[in-house]
Amino acid sequence: MAETAVPEMLPGTVQEEQDQPAAALEPGYLVICWNDPVNFMDYVTHVFQVVFGWPKQKAQFHMLQVHEQGKSVLARESMEKAEHYVHQLQKYSLHATMERDQ
Amino acid sequence: MKLIGTEKDRLLLHFGRREKDLFLHILRLYPRVPPAHYRVSKSGPADASSQQLLEEALVEQRNENQKQLSALLGQPQRWAEQHSGWRLTLGPGEPEWLLQVLNDIRVGSWLLLGSPDDQVQVVDDGNLLHAWAMEVAGAFEISLLKVLEKRL
Repeated sequence: MAETAVPEMLPGTVQEEQDQPAAALEPGYLVICWNDPVNFMDYVTHVFQVVFGWPKQKAQFHMLQVHEQGKSVLARESMEKAEHYVHQLQKYSLHATMERDQ
Repeated sequence: MKLIGTEKDRLLLHFGRREKDLFLHILRLYPRVPPAHYRVSKSGPADASSQQLLEEALVEQRNENQKQLSALLGQPQRWAEQHSGWRLTLGPGEPEWLLQVLNDIRVGSWLLLGSPDDQVQVVDDGNLLHAWAMEVAGAFEISLLKVLEKRL
């Protein structure tokens, strides 16, 4: 059996906490787009391209998820950024919300 | 509505004579989605201010859209008459703004129809305007999307 190395630590010394990116510490919010029977598929694709700057293929992938599965998670962001995206999507009258990532 | 050319960052669109009247008529219905329609979250707002922030942002956006719409409707010089119809010039950012306005009219009309899952089954005197507005706004929306796609 291979041995695992034990980190050397002298008694009485305090190990510094590793820095973590702020995004990893903050609770995440999911930006979700929900299906509805009124918005055109091409329109939804276009809005995803404009709001997220995605290429058409990626925007179409998420549009089809919305259409076929009832919803698509478009992004996981900090509260502030998630709010921004929800505002942008709702400006285009899409059914979008932000939900806390459990 | 057809794309007839681009001029720097402007779009030149052609409208038939009756098409222009219809276009202006439908735009005058804006806004149609009630302000309280949108919710920031399905499971309740992340904090108390989130829903308020959203509503404020949407009201601000709506006011801005109405200003731009008044400019479009109130400036006859934006429209140049041609032998077969009219030419409308759209500046930078205006196609996106127009899409938002047209879709607000479409979605708002759908809400006024009772948010049907499928096509409206019965059109009568009570819902004719809403059904008509939803379809006409949608038709202009599709035309504008085709124009934008050609441009890309």
